[in-house]
Amino acid sequence: MTGGMVIPMNNAEDRILRVWTPILLRVILAAAVSLLSIGLLVSLRHSNSDYSSALETIRQSFASRPRPPESLLREIAEGNPIAIATLGLFVLTLVPLARVSFCFLLFLKQRSFVFASFTAYVLVGLILGMLLGRIG
Amino acid sequence: MLTLIVLLIGLALIAGFVGSLSGLGGGMFIVPALVIFAHVPMQAAVGASLMAVVATSAGASVAFVRDGWTNLKVAIVLECATVTGAIAGAFLAGLASTTVLESLFAVVMLQSAYFSLRKRDGDLPTSSDRLCRRLGLDGSFPGCNGSSVSYGVANLPGGAALMMLAGLMSGLLGIGSGALKVIAMDQIMHLPLKVSSATSNFMIGVTAGAGALVFLARGNVLPMVAAPVALGVTAGAIAGSKLLPYADVRWLRAGFVGALVLIALEMGWRALTGV
Repeated sequence: MTGGMVIPMNNAEDRILRVWTPILLRVILAAAVSLLSIGLLVSLRHSNSDYSSALETIRQSFASRPRPPESLLREIAEGNPIAIATLGLFVLTLVPLARVSFCFLLFLKQRSFVFASFTAYVLVGLILGMLLGRIG
Repeated sequence: MLTLIVLLIGLALIAGFVGSLSGLGGGMFIVPALVIFAHVPMQAAVGASLMAVVATSAGASVAFVRDGWTNLKVAIVLECATVTGAIAGAFLAGLASTTVLESLFAVVMLQSAYFSLRKRDGDLPTSSDRLCRRLGLDGSFPGCNGSSVSYGVANLPGGAALMMLAGLMSGLLGIGSGALKVIAMDQIMHLPLKVSSATSNFMIGVTAGAGALVFLARGNVLPMVAAPVALGVTAGAIAGSKLLPYADVRWLRAGFVGALVLIALEMGWRALTGV
């Protein structure tokens, strides 16, 4: 803080963000990488195909169908490698959203309302974008 | 099957490495690499590229944020502009001509490549302008011998305007727009190139993450392609984030200019052929 007109994050917030953001990112990333690796290893165990037939198998598995959550969980329990990898991809996409949510909660807790409103705006925008289904 | 997975991981490793060093995200490299070298269908390559951008952002951000290369305050403020642009793009989709937008994008990339070549890295402001000072956007990055180098930030409205355009392009064309983000910070707001690259890496995951969720929920991502790509890109991005502090800025800028020209050519090709 360098004067009455200044409205920056304070040093404590900056320090918390620099310490906890990488930890948050690392934990979610580790979970995603574990699921993706398990999915690939299980798929290798079930497949002895060569390159071209493997690609063809993958093409055929691209059913372009959304998996309802209950169906996804059932397929994971059955050891379906595609379902396990899909869950890993879902977890991976949560990384940036979790980071924005974490920033919002931190700013709110620290009563840094200017930056809390910035992050709240981003969160609302992202949710709206997902509902519209065309962001990114 | 093993050959395919190893090839996908290898290609993604390179894309993640280059993407995290440049701040471009790796999406622009992964689509042609998957289609040309791995013969992956285009639709699957596009879905995998979105996942690649999220993985690059997450993998690289761990080290960049911890070591102080990412300007968190600048990222948070500019994300408002990016998200606004992306939502506007979502509403305008179908109304605006993609050919015109792709041509415009290609011209902006070429112009930015020209300005990047002319820019001298010694010309960094040491203090922020009034608005940036008010928001406390100035920062510092690790220098030699454990010291830290302070820098100022300028022209937030100009940077935010270009960020809004980056978001608009994301919403309309389905691209990450990492290049525009780096340009906004490097050339308009006068942040150091490495800080611009690290901050862009941090930001690109947000809009790409939302887009990837939509793609996944619709079933438009091929998991057995996207999974090895995400793993390779994450490893490449982590390696890139370790190298960035030691990278020579001149080589970094030269690589960035080369990438801008490639993007311009790709966008120009898309505008001309409609592919």
